[in-house]
Amino acid sequence: MDRNYHIFSDGRIERSEDTVRLETIDGEKKHIPVEHAEAIYLHGQIDYNTRLMSFLNDHGVAVHVFGWNDRYAGSLMPERGQTSGRTVVEQVRAYDDPERRQTIAASFVRGSIHNMRTNVTYYNSRDYDLGRVLEDLDDAVSRIDSTKDISELMGVEATARRAYYRTFDTVLPDSFSFDSREYNPPPNPVNALISFGNSLVYANCVSAIRATALDPAISYLHEPGERRYSLSLDIADLFKPVLTDRLLFRLVNRRQISRDDFRNEVGSCLLNEAGRTTFLKEFEQTLERTVEHPELNRKVSYQYLLRLEAYKLKKHLLTGEPYEPFKRWW
Amino acid sequence: MSDGPVTRLLATARGDAVDDPFRVTGVMMQYYYVCERELWFESRNIEIDRENASVARGTRVDESSYGERTQENLRLGMISPDLLEDGRVVEVKPSSALTEPARMQLSYYLWYLDRVMDVQREGVLAHPTERRREEVSLDEDRREKVESAIRSIHAIVTAERPPEATEKPYCESCAYYDFCWV
Ligand code: SF4
Repeated sequence: MDRNYHIFSDGRIERSEDTVRLETIDGEKKHIPVEHAEAIYLHGQIDYNTRLMSFLNDHGVAVHVFGWNDRYAGSLMPERGQTSGRTVVEQVRAYDDPERRQTIAASFVRGSIHNMRTNVTYYNSRDYDLGRVLEDLDDAVSRIDSTKDISELMGVEATARRAYYRTFDTVLPDSFSFDSREYNPPPNPVNALISFGNSLVYANCVSAIRATALDPAISYLHEPGERRYSLSLDIADLFKPVLTDRLLFRLVNRRQISRDDFRNEVGSCLLNEAGRTTFLKEFEQTLERTVEHPELNRKVSYQYLLRLEAYKLKKHLLTGEPYEPFKRWW
Repeated sequence: MSDGPVTRLLATARGDAVDDPFRVTGVMMQYYYVCERELWFESRNIEIDRENASVARGTRVDESSYGERTQENLRLGMISPDLLEDGRVVEVKPSSALTEPARMQLSYYLWYLDRVMDVQREGVLAHPTERRREEVSLDEDRREKVESAIRSIHAIVTAERPPEATEKPYCESCAYYDFCWV
């Protein structure tokens, strides 16, 4: 799997011969080997031109842009020749058939709750008493099958997520109080970490979806149009507990991230540059981590699991074979 | 058994079936003998960009190491066979495990030349790495086999769903492996 490259500084990137050159505002120059790039993530103020864009397009490299508050702002996606009318038609058909849509959406919720539960179980067995949350999650799962429409399903998901987030204040040290999930802007360090992590998960899902011929704008659990790439929202939910939350717990509990890694502004809290660097380094390492895949009989990276998820959905849409959501098995 | 698909294929080859053409390429004939599910995927252009999909199996790469000079690569409607200088049709075996698919692909070329172009040719199945060759000619038996394969291919590619995945020794080197088995 190719690597992600993150650029924090302000400056410009341009094509230079057969590679991409970054020149930061303080005159530092760096090269990004485009052959091994999956995507370039821009976190700072970066100038670029169309010559660079077509070069990246030729090499199938996506650009994900992050704006103020570390929020995902958009992507420039390579064309890559992956378009398939049939796939899009099947995607829309499944969306338009309430029963099929409900089945797919329910799979996403079932998988998400399972993955939240795996985290809770892990900490429950390590001196925290989280039995109550486990019960709430199980209760939510048992309600999935009787939901009649997407909004009920969304309700079940939201209840589960609220119960799940209650564990954060138990598991994290007192100096990192979470309280509740708030997005815009994040009011405290834990929310800032979740927001940053989840937007990275989201952008990685955009890349994974783009590698298939699926249309990232046609989704099942979330309403298409909620965001430009709403299918990424569906798939990202499955992976947030594995990629964002577990990492966050680890970094905070091992004090790799401290309160000094944030800057507070009026009513909002954001990672500062040191904090973002630490988080990103660990995030990318997590993506590269591998796990033995029980069906494929080989090791696959966490990042490739995102890709597999898109394949599974595509297979379901094109063949009618059941879609089994990603459930952490290790 | 109805000969519909064979008749339709011939109509397409002769340019008579514009609305609903039924095509069988050499590669499709080969896939039919390799994996029916793969044939269904291929017939619908289902692409999967599998990690490291260098397609080790070599069924879809045009091998250029012939070991025997071919004179030309003909493009005849649905097929593009390679001809030796003496006019025989040659097909290179991708690997010794997949002899039968290659043999049937070649038989299909001979059948197509015979039925569509009214040209009778002999075939050579070559395996450059083993320096072995096998003569293939279109006898009654092979003719029947080709036609029954055409009927089955028609049934597979027009089916709503793909045939189920069944584990084969070469699955792991198939481009659709990650698609089939997760
Ligand atoms: S992985 Fe196996 S079953 Fe699937 S298409 Fe390839 S050969 Fe056929």
